[in-house]
Amino acid sequence: MAKKRSAFLMIWVILAVICLFMFLKYASPKVFQMLMAKSHPMPTPSTLMMWYMIMGVLAGLVYATTSNQKFADFLSFLLPSRGPIIKSLLQKLLFVSFPVLVGWFVYSWSIPGAASPVELRIQHPTLPQEFEKLENPFREKDADTQRKSIEEGKILFQTYCRPCHGSKADGNGPFANSFRLRPINFQDPGTIATVVDNYLFWRIKEGAPGLPSESTPWDSAMPSWKDDLKDDEIWMIIMGEYDTAGVMPRQREKLE
Amino acid sequence: MIKACKKVLVGFGLIGICTIVFGTASDVFAQASHLFRTYKREVPPKLPETPDAVAEGKKIYEKRCWYCHGIEGKGDGPAAKTMFPKPRNFTRNEYKVRSTAFSSVPTDEDLFRIITSGIEGTAMPFWYTISEKERWQVLYYIKTFNDQFRKNDAIKTVSVGSVASTPESVARGQELFKEMRCFECHGEDGRGNGPLTVALQSEWNLPYRARDLTKGWLFKGGNTIEDIYRTVSTGFNETPMGSYLEKLADEDRWHVAHYVKSIAKDMVSDVVIKARLVEDDQLPIDASDDDWGKATPVEIPLAGQIIATPRLWTPSIDAINVRAMYNKDEIMFLLEWDDATNKQEEVFRDGVSVQFPTKIPESLKKPYFAMGDSSGAVNLWSWKAYWHEGFGAIVEAPETESGEVSELNAKSFKNVTTQPPESQNVSGKGIYQNGRWKVVLKRSLKTDDVKGDIQFETGKLIPVALAAWDGSNSDTGALKSVSAWYYVLLEKPVPKTIFAYVLVAIIMGASVELWFIARLRRFPPKLEENE
Repeated sequence: MAKKRSAFLMIWVILAVICLFMFLKYASPKVFQMLMAKSHPMPTPSTLMMWYMIMGVLAGLVYATTSNQKFADFLSFLLPSRGPIIKSLLQKLLFVSFPVLVGWFVYSWSIPGAASPVELRIQHPTLPQEFEKLENPFREKDADTQRKSIEEGKILFQTYCRPCHGSKADGNGPFANSFRLRPINFQDPGTIATVVDNYLFWRIKEGAPGLPSESTPWDSAMPSWKDDLKDDEIWMIIMGEYDTAGVMPRQREKLE
Repeated sequence: MIKACKKVLVGFGLIGICTIVFGTASDVFAQASHLFRTYKREVPPKLPETPDAVAEGKKIYEKRCWYCHGIEGKGDGPAAKTMFPKPRNFTRNEYKVRSTAFSSVPTDEDLFRIITSGIEGTAMPFWYTISEKERWQVLYYIKTFNDQFRKNDAIKTVSVGSVASTPESVARGQELFKEMRCFECHGEDGRGNGPLTVALQSEWNLPYRARDLTKGWLFKGGNTIEDIYRTVSTGFNETPMGSYLEKLADEDRWHVAHYVKSIAKDMVSDVVIKARLVEDDQLPIDASDDDWGKATPVEIPLAGQIIATPRLWTPSIDAINVRAMYNKDEIMFLLEWDDATNKQEEVFRDGVSVQFPTKIPESLKKPYFAMGDSSGAVNLWSWKAYWHEGFGAIVEAPETESGEVSELNAKSFKNVTTQPPESQNVSGKGIYQNGRWKVVLKRSLKTDDVKGDIQFETGKLIPVALAAWDGSNSDTGALKSVSAWYYVLLEKPVPKTIFAYVLVAIIMGASVELWFIARLRRFPPKLEENE
């Protein structure tokens, strides 16, 4: 009984690997689209796919070799067929598809093509020293002044920052789709909520040209506002920006 | 025996893994972008419209909406100055996306849908990020700006039936598009370049542009067939887009909608523009050449230039369609974009420019994407529409004139130099047809000016960025639409020898397989009882 069931073990292992591939390639993008409520499928990154497939193949081999009985069953599929017609058909299919697969691999490996453009960047460079000591003049003021600065800042934000960063500071402004380096989503807890006011002051004042080269300044569309906005206006924008995004800046550690 | 088999099997496994590695790694290029919004249709049950709800709505409005729509709802908020189209003026009945008759106000559900999904191509964001209750409340407050909401109840007028899309329906729709003179505004090819659009805009200074029907992703209120049918039926208030509810039978409106849907395209973008190798000895500077059909088009989205002053907050060119092809000596680009007018003045002229670094970057580092920087210069191929001094000094560039092509270098917006006449190697021609510019720019792959000119090489990713000017939008100089860095790749031809390799590989694969099977069959695995 058990022997009969496992005569197709090799086919099951191959099927499992194919299923894994199909899942990663076709089903997972749809699943993640639904889970993350996106309007487009989320394709599996090719390197991730590669590692999952390697693990899948290895897992299949490990499974097939867990016992000598299993391994013998696994190989027995290749022995001359005395079983049902389906077995001999599958056998022939396997014998043909292996060399074809090897041929296809050689083909896809040797057709000319360029590597994917590598665009690595550090999103969060270190704050330059000259900006470390600055203080946001509005942060420590009375509630009334603070409220006014937030309101002024929001007006400036909506006028000058909104086209890219969006009305909600979510990085979805009308220009956002046109920059391959998408404008930052300030609502994301990993962005402006993790830095102090000065950091934003540096980014707004110096813009892309002020970035160090590991942050790929050549791809960033962040303008430098130092010639167009006064320092106070920049501080107000920061007040308004945090309020719009609904997050708080990181607090400085108090040094004893 | 089993051990030997195991070894061989591991070998097979490794071959399998290699196959997978290279198989998946060949899938290298970025996917087409799906960046545009989908309009949500579901509207939840209404909240009672009470004075409390309105008061709550006022708070939300004054927290989130007034910056654009104005504190009094007049569409004159402080941020409106960096916007086109302008924010809706709630004191007037200029509502566009409605299911009600022309010049009536929209239903609450219509407003709810737009607040939820926003409007593509405008500054109006989606607000499904706030609660449904909040959306109803702010909607009730917005209704207080216009008395018409109180006077008469908005009545839904669009039927729910539908007509299936068939080739006959589309053909009938196309006939109706002509009969109803839709082309007078939307243009013969639907690019929003009809003669009436242009005339009305300049005479009355109307803040509207007829929709470019070929750009399906920018349809206000959605691009599904039901959405298009609704717009044809009810029209857009306070614009020349009238209602066809009475002018056309219900079925005919579906036909028109099917026709519009059939010409509406999606944006097909990519990060890499693949230049196609052609065998021809000569590359003709001709936008209508058949060979272009074989080159893969890539639609590149543009934004207003907001890096340096003067900034262009209200661009009118939002995308350029690019193709490239090359032969052994030359490379050629076809740049196409929609423009409602062909009006050229001395200062405000239509134009396009293609930007490359002056040499192919060896590392990650590139020049700054907008006009380069002090450590990385860029090479610009610029084309400007034909213009000549004359009476009124506004001319339409004729198809016989190719326009003005020049080659420049830049290290910043302020540091731009035109190359000397002996280094001008780019030739080109632009023609304006049915609301679309088609510009071909051509240069030899290599030039003598190795310092100022990009030298093309096959098989390398060469950064490329675009810029475009719309003279009728008062674009000039830094006031332009720009793109980020993309890449152009001169595809290497597939060598014939590759098929020999494949054949050898298949034979080798087959022999290894046969050897393994033969061995296995001669010494079939036997279970060793002891183990």
